[in-house]
Amino acid sequence: MSRIAFRLAVNGEVREVFAEPRKLLSDVLREDLRLTGTHVGCEHGVCGACTVLVDGKPSRACLIFAIQMQGREITTVEGLTPDEGLSPLQQALHEEHGLQCGFCTPGIITTFEAYLRENPDPSEDEIREVLAGNLCRCTGYGNIVRGVKKAARMLRDGAAQ
Amino acid sequence: MSGIKAEDTKRSDFDQIGKPILRKEDVRLLRGKGVYVDDIEVPGALHACFVRSPHAHARISGFDLDEAKAMPGVIAIVTGHEINGWTNGLKLAPPIEGLQPTEMTTLPVDKVRFHGDPVACVVATDRYVAEDAAELVLVDYDVLEAVTSYDSALADGAPLVDETLSSNLVSHQKFEAGDIARRKQEAHRIVEASFAMQRMTHLPIETRGCIAVWDDGRQHLTMHIGSQAPHPMRSALAGRLRLGEQQVTIASPDVGGAFGQKIIVYREEITVAALARHLKRPVRWREDRIENLSASLQARENTVHTCAAVAADGRILSLEAEILEDFGAYCFYPANYLARVIGMILTGPYRIQDYAFEVKIALTNKCGAGPMRAPMAITSLVMDGTLDAVARELNLDPAEVRRVNMLRPSDLPYTMPTGERLEDVTPSECFERGLREVDYAAFRKRQTEDRGRKVYRGIGICNVVESTTYGSAFYKAAGIPGSGHEAAWVKIEPSGAIRASAGLMGTGQSYETPFAQAVAEGLGVDVAQVDILLGNTDIAPYGMGARGSRGATAGGGTLFLTALDLKAKMLDIAAALLGLNSASELNVKGGKVLRHVGGEWAETGLGIGDIARTAYLDPLKLPEGMQPGLEMHRAWDPPQMTYSNSAHFCEVTLSPATGEIAIDRYLIIEDCGTVLNPLVVAGQQQGATVLGIGGVLFEHMIYDESGQNLCGTLADYLIPTATEAPEIEIIGQHTPNKRTPAGIKGMAEGGVMGAIGAVNNAVNDALRPFGVIADRQPLSPDYIRRLLRQKV
Repeated sequence: MSRIAFRLAVNGEVREVFAEPRKLLSDVLREDLRLTGTHVGCEHGVCGACTVLVDGKPSRACLIFAIQMQGREITTVEGLTPDEGLSPLQQALHEEHGLQCGFCTPGIITTFEAYLRENPDPSEDEIREVLAGNLCRCTGYGNIVRGVKKAARMLRDGAAQ
Repeated sequence: MSGIKAEDTKRSDFDQIGKPILRKEDVRLLRGKGVYVDDIEVPGALHACFVRSPHAHARISGFDLDEAKAMPGVIAIVTGHEINGWTNGLKLAPPIEGLQPTEMTTLPVDKVRFHGDPVACVVATDRYVAEDAAELVLVDYDVLEAVTSYDSALADGAPLVDETLSSNLVSHQKFEAGDIARRKQEAHRIVEASFAMQRMTHLPIETRGCIAVWDDGRQHLTMHIGSQAPHPMRSALAGRLRLGEQQVTIASPDVGGAFGQKIIVYREEITVAALARHLKRPVRWREDRIENLSASLQARENTVHTCAAVAADGRILSLEAEILEDFGAYCFYPANYLARVIGMILTGPYRIQDYAFEVKIALTNKCGAGPMRAPMAITSLVMDGTLDAVARELNLDPAEVRRVNMLRPSDLPYTMPTGERLEDVTPSECFERGLREVDYAAFRKRQTEDRGRKVYRGIGICNVVESTTYGSAFYKAAGIPGSGHEAAWVKIEPSGAIRASAGLMGTGQSYETPFAQAVAEGLGVDVAQVDILLGNTDIAPYGMGARGSRGATAGGGTLFLTALDLKAKMLDIAAALLGLNSASELNVKGGKVLRHVGGEWAETGLGIGDIARTAYLDPLKLPEGMQPGLEMHRAWDPPQMTYSNSAHFCEVTLSPATGEIAIDRYLIIEDCGTVLNPLVVAGQQQGATVLGIGGVLFEHMIYDESGQNLCGTLADYLIPTATEAPEIEIIGQHTPNKRTPAGIKGMAEGGVMGAIGAVNNAVNDALRPFGVIADRQPLSPDYIRRLLRQKV
């Protein structure tokens, strides 16, 4: 299959891509754009490790062809990370030991960056409901839930100031 | 200076050990800057894809590679005919009575033995092309009858999975201590029970994968691969590739989980490495999820039948256990490796001396099995489940039956009937504390009242004695090949920068932080000053890797002892610089050398930087005869076995209409000795417990009767998500081990053992009014409904 040139808006930058139309967004992000923070865990849309934001909404990058994303705004974990240090959500996950191997973590960060924007004060049950779309084999989830709750509080406090 | 002994290192005033320090590795992982194997860029690397058997058991009658080879971008396609000529096979023939020796080639050429068995490898310029070409590889098979269960494997006339063996019974051992026949005559009752765990898989969220880079000039292979045990992997890979060990570097980057699946070198990885060497080009391979689910190691699938002779008060007079395991198609480990440990430690925290076990392992046409987090996971379910069976048959309270059998503090140290020695454990203290915390009597009252309202509650108790750190003496006693020692080095560079390494590799266990704490404690510096380097065999000393729950004791303990040795050298240098005859009044704290004068610790004006500069750049000032430089290397072999212990309590509500089980409360009382980092320990306990709960309730690697794997996606193989995982309450009441550095015991598998027992026992308690017993896992709604329907 032949490669074609197209443009993708990723993390606020327009990037030139030269790839086969069948190439997955997850593979283009990782291999062509070297944004390896997006992880591939199943390639069938269940594990959630490859979650990125498409126009601000969490989406599975392994279920999308990159070429379909022309004209959309893609945000990866790299685009949600400050130049120095950690975002409030990242900091809260750090403080609550909400990650162990870290492989599922970028997908959780992208999911909840979007979710907390629309739901600044979620209950534990609501957090668990959303987190159910991201598989984690290490933590048992409790510390991730606590991390998200803490992040919500930090973000609310930040917004109030 | 050197020779600090483990048992001399107990202290309660630790400065760095025991602090809830946030993890060092977090920042890179949270920022998306972790580097896992598939994140490594290697210019010009080719991509490998494997062709796998669609049959469980079939003769290979031929290959047709022409069409696949003609595809543009395809560089090479090889089968076992080439690969086996370039590599050695795996021969497992440890001198163990009752174990049939086995041997396999790198890729099968005569027949395939399970659905997913690799038969050919395509190498192409692009992963997509490699996968396309793999689909065009034609393999002719003559399908054979498959054996897909323990029972059918051992039936008369069953087809042989491995035709070089005399039968599919690949391993068979017996053990007996005491006088079982006599105890049975004396018994008030004989109680029999059965327990079965299903086939499971480790399911790291990062699948396997590797990049083999062959340097044809230096004749050297660098293998980038997520590995729990880099040095044993290097030894194995070099041997399989007919290379000297000095010609192979294993470089493990960040690893996205392993749980036992990333210890051995697999046939795919040997193939990829052999191809890189043959083609003189880098070759990389990323395992698909379907490959991980069907052809990476699987685990469990064991059944245990127990027969207990009991007194009227529930005391166990003797116990017999028959341990049966379905090991799959190939022996990547000696077949007795896992089940034997179950037999060795089965009696756990209970006073039993008349004990026998029999282990029978069968080969079947399913993916090969290996150790998965708590390979002996069924142990505590079998023991505490047997006590529950005794309580049911004698109409006694399950807690009371545990109490009359449990080792009292005065019984310790206790030699188990298998010769295993329990000491520095607190099973009765943890158990009694748990009964108080859950208010056991109040629960029983609530349970009785609620049954009247058709609300079916159950409580399950599981007392766990967790074998954590296996010393060399255990391997020898158990007849399993291997060493339990670990090695470490600690270096202070001329600037005072501190680095340390050990031969384990973390795959999510947070090693970088607690290991830094152990080094910081030993040296007398702040943890932030210590960098831990793991995973590269050219940097780390040869060690035995991450397996069992040996990280804290073997890894942290050896690093702590090494750091103490290095501190002793620093103090000798400091004494010389201060003009003192001896270092006995000196210590290092916070990186500064302190002197004990007049009952107080006073600063001397010297710091680690001064000592390092002297050691490297001004060696004439060193004490006479001392070598310049500031580094230390040592090894340490743990005691035969270290044990942690815990008591798990699980409360459930059963819905008879749907078969659904809700976990209402989960409490653990745990003693895992000196804790290096309580944050990390809690994380391991929570994660292990939820992994165990997944095993009890959901996970099931299903094969149909013809040997087809029916769990090719994560929608088929179900692990707990955040909505199924309960909150895990943990109360630590830790007591140090007297034989290990700093009193460390280790943990991280007991949670699995406890959950498997506590949840199953709770469900059986809830099922009591219905007169049925759930004796096989997973306890799916479907299975529970089937049990209830049988009764109605």
